[in-house]
Amino acid sequence: MALSRRKFLVLAGGSALGAVIFEACGVPSRELLVESPIEMPEDAVTGLDNWYATLCRQCSTSEGVIVRVIEGRAKKVEGNPDYPINLGKHSACCEAGLQALYHPDRLRGPMRRVGERGSGEFQEISWEEALDELVAELKKYRGSDADTVVLATDPLRGHLGMVAKRFADAYGARAMALEPVEQSVLRGAVKVVYGQEQLPDFDIENANHILSFGADFLSTWLSPVRFAVKYGQFRGKRPRGTFVQIESRFSATAANADEWVFIKPGYEGILALSIAQVIISERLWDAKAPPAMTGGAWAQSVQSYSPENVAKDVGIAPERIRELAREFARRKPSLALGGDLPAAHTNGSSNLSAIYALNYLVGSVGNKGGIIFNPEPPLPELPIGGGETYKQWHDMADRLRSGRPKPVNLLLVRGINPVHSLANLDFKDALNQVGKVVSFSSFMDDTTAMADLVLPEHVYLEDWGDDLPNPGPGYRLVGIQQPIVRPLYNTRSFGDILLTLAQELGMERQLPWGSFKEVLEDGAEKLFDMGKGSVKAPGFKAFWSGVLQRGGWWDVEAKSTAVAPVSPQLPEKVEKPSFAGSDGEYPFHLLPFQHPTLTDGRGAHLPWLQATPDPLTSTVWHTWIEINTVKAEEMGIKEGDVIAVESPHGTIEALAYPSRAVSPEVVCIPIGQGHTYFGRYAERRGSNVFAILAPEKNDKETGALAWAATKVRLTKTGRWARLSKFEGEGSPGIQTEERDVVQITRTES
Amino acid sequence: MAQQSEHKWGMVIDLDKCIGCQACVIACQAENNVPLNTEEIFNQKRAIEWIRVERYWEGEFPNVKARFLPVLCQHCENAPCEPVCPVYATYHNQEGLNVQVYNRCVGTRYCQNNCPYHVRFFNYWTPQWPESLRNQLNPDVTVRSRGIMEKCTFCIQRIRRTTRNAKREGRKLEDGLLQPACAQACPTSTLTFGDLNDPDSKVSQLAKNSRNYKLLEKLGTDPNVIYLKKVDPKAAEELHA
Repeated sequence: MALSRRKFLVLAGGSALGAVIFEACGVPSRELLVESPIEMPEDAVTGLDNWYATLCRQCSTSEGVIVRVIEGRAKKVEGNPDYPINLGKHSACCEAGLQALYHPDRLRGPMRRVGERGSGEFQEISWEEALDELVAELKKYRGSDADTVVLATDPLRGHLGMVAKRFADAYGARAMALEPVEQSVLRGAVKVVYGQEQLPDFDIENANHILSFGADFLSTWLSPVRFAVKYGQFRGKRPRGTFVQIESRFSATAANADEWVFIKPGYEGILALSIAQVIISERLWDAKAPPAMTGGAWAQSVQSYSPENVAKDVGIAPERIRELAREFARRKPSLALGGDLPAAHTNGSSNLSAIYALNYLVGSVGNKGGIIFNPEPPLPELPIGGGETYKQWHDMADRLRSGRPKPVNLLLVRGINPVHSLANLDFKDALNQVGKVVSFSSFMDDTTAMADLVLPEHVYLEDWGDDLPNPGPGYRLVGIQQPIVRPLYNTRSFGDILLTLAQELGMERQLPWGSFKEVLEDGAEKLFDMGKGSVKAPGFKAFWSGVLQRGGWWDVEAKSTAVAPVSPQLPEKVEKPSFAGSDGEYPFHLLPFQHPTLTDGRGAHLPWLQATPDPLTSTVWHTWIEINTVKAEEMGIKEGDVIAVESPHGTIEALAYPSRAVSPEVVCIPIGQGHTYFGRYAERRGSNVFAILAPEKNDKETGALAWAATKVRLTKTGRWARLSKFEGEGSPGIQTEERDVVQITRTES
Repeated sequence: MAQQSEHKWGMVIDLDKCIGCQACVIACQAENNVPLNTEEIFNQKRAIEWIRVERYWEGEFPNVKARFLPVLCQHCENAPCEPVCPVYATYHNQEGLNVQVYNRCVGTRYCQNNCPYHVRFFNYWTPQWPESLRNQLNPDVTVRSRGIMEKCTFCIQRIRRTTRNAKREGRKLEDGLLQPACAQACPTSTLTFGDLNDPDSKVSQLAKNSRNYKLLEKLGTDPNVIYLKKVDPKAAEELHA
């Protein structure tokens, strides 16, 4: 018998002699394992659990999730394997929903302000008192002053959106929705180029070549879990597809592209027209391309965008532009998509229109591996989201401040934190002029701290809801959110609150329901009556249970019948971008980006999301500024130096992170931190980059904030702080000089 | 001869799919009651991540590339952490798992010192959660106290639950049904977990791919985690062991 190391351990631990004899007799060695009489980890007893399907509402896309519940407590969130958007997968954000539920700083009941506005001093009151006070306010302004009441929410979709709209309409209040990083530019481009109201689905998994202009689709853009699932399939396919990312920033998505091409900020649309020019002049277009594009006036107008003409502006060599165009035209099916940075310039709309127009030239509109249109929602009255543009919010901030044309007497705030998101409009100061501010937030965030009355709503794991994801999966889908635990505190459902108010105000005709759950059941009954889709049942009761069990209703047959326009509206020219701050005074382009887990700031209160290392810098719990390593060395900037970042609109501080992936012309700062109020894990942590973005730089077409159109200068403050991050000396990590840790091959197999 | 166990758990990590999104990292922390990694803990370099995603840079601007590498306990067949433990707190079980027995551990940290993959973590303090956040803790998993080493278990609580349920119901354990939290979350399906003893399992099939390699293979640790090389047709150079 050869005495292996393991056997030696066995022998050493048990009776050596006995062990030898047993071994010789052929007794299974399992019986000889050195095991203590107490429980081994592998004997762990598992409790009885239940799993409930619901929706994750941590970001603007709702993923379908299933939640493990043991003895009434939620324990774990996982992707719902059935749900069409995420197919059983989920992100760190979905997981952290549990921390929102069990957050130690959740608001536990209604409150009235007692201290100065903004002091954060509140007194607990009962729901009766709180609602009486709110009803009294609403009654006061009913009638000719109804338009001095503003209902400001997140972009509500589905039945809650319908209830809120009906409430605002019946009362006569102004309803406004805020998207902190707005998609109105994208929605506008999709409407102009494809004639679609809804965002399309992107058939990433069936594409052979992906040309992405700035869209950080694997990290934060639109529906990142869905896109990552598709990307996994795309990468698993043979022959292997190719993926090129054209972006001014080295995003987490750029890091996964086969090739990252740096482009000067704001010139994406001009590059797209140049790519079109090459395809047209070299006759590389697909047979399905509309003749209006390949031979008409449009083809003529893009002739001036030859690679030679644009190379200097876009910062890419003419031959490279030709290669990009040829690859895109030859490796069909190919898909062009754009978002984030290209949309965030003064020429954002024309940038995106030019980018999305490229799909026509390669025959990818409405075809496999390309742009797939989404059908109309199954229930017509349900809104599919979208918010007021920055320009409209700018006007509202002015109105709050000046009281003209009419003052705002009552502002109801739900699901948004404009004091943080609209910091460059000094929304906090504007709120001081409002008669009364009412917040429905579950947390004491920056805006709620300015409120006079707080009526905290349930967090989503305690509440009913539904969603019509936009973009959808290419067919009809209604996701259903059900409470998976009993409410922990004295909070209420926002839908229920609106219905209660409606009753008090005599608006039962428009809002006849007793509870928001009834609204959902009513909607579900209409779906049942259609007799189609994923849940088949003999009666409504069984149908409703089926919908709740599966996390929603969808009909894979109900696809869009829309055909791409024969002569699409296409941009004949793309203007050059303009920036706030001259090159001389402000030498760097500031490229803000959504933090991978805190996103636009709404996840900043959750410790898991604060502690998730940024994929590229591994930074946690901080606001950092990425600056080119060579440039940093020239300026004498080292990691952790506190840098004052000054734009024409203001100054913030961030910790330096010299990075070799950043162009010397730009600096990048994540959005998300800089909260004065938002619970113990977010408060007084980092800086809010929204605060220094020039408010006057807007997309020309839509009025969206051009959030990448601000230039900055950097000054060392002379202070230093340790930049918290996962990597670096002393951190776990394979610390080896060997280069074969990540192995790379050029050939697929 | 030792009797072969029915299962031998292993994982394949396809580097061509990993996007570095960290979904696995948080899924693991939620499932396994990993203490909250506060800013102070990060600054002390004592953050605990049973699975982490390392990022390696290549080249300089503008020809720069980032490579992602998820690293968790490799569940080595010849685990360097095992023989150095003076109290047999870490041992190898019949199913290929490197197991940590918390109530044996006396915190010598020899195992941490001897692990070339740096996947063993020490609890310098008793983990703290605000009372309300404790509601989330997974009752299937021990909360480790001060002075104890901890590491990836391949979600042994899930392995036990799923295999027991299958046995009780008299059915064969279906491939893919059993997933540790990281693999379950992974949006791109970079991580595939399964039974390496079952030649038809997805993990066995993937492990045969010609891109396969093991991390720091020349150390001879014989891991049960198999990596598939990143494919990059335009790589400046191919890197092989």
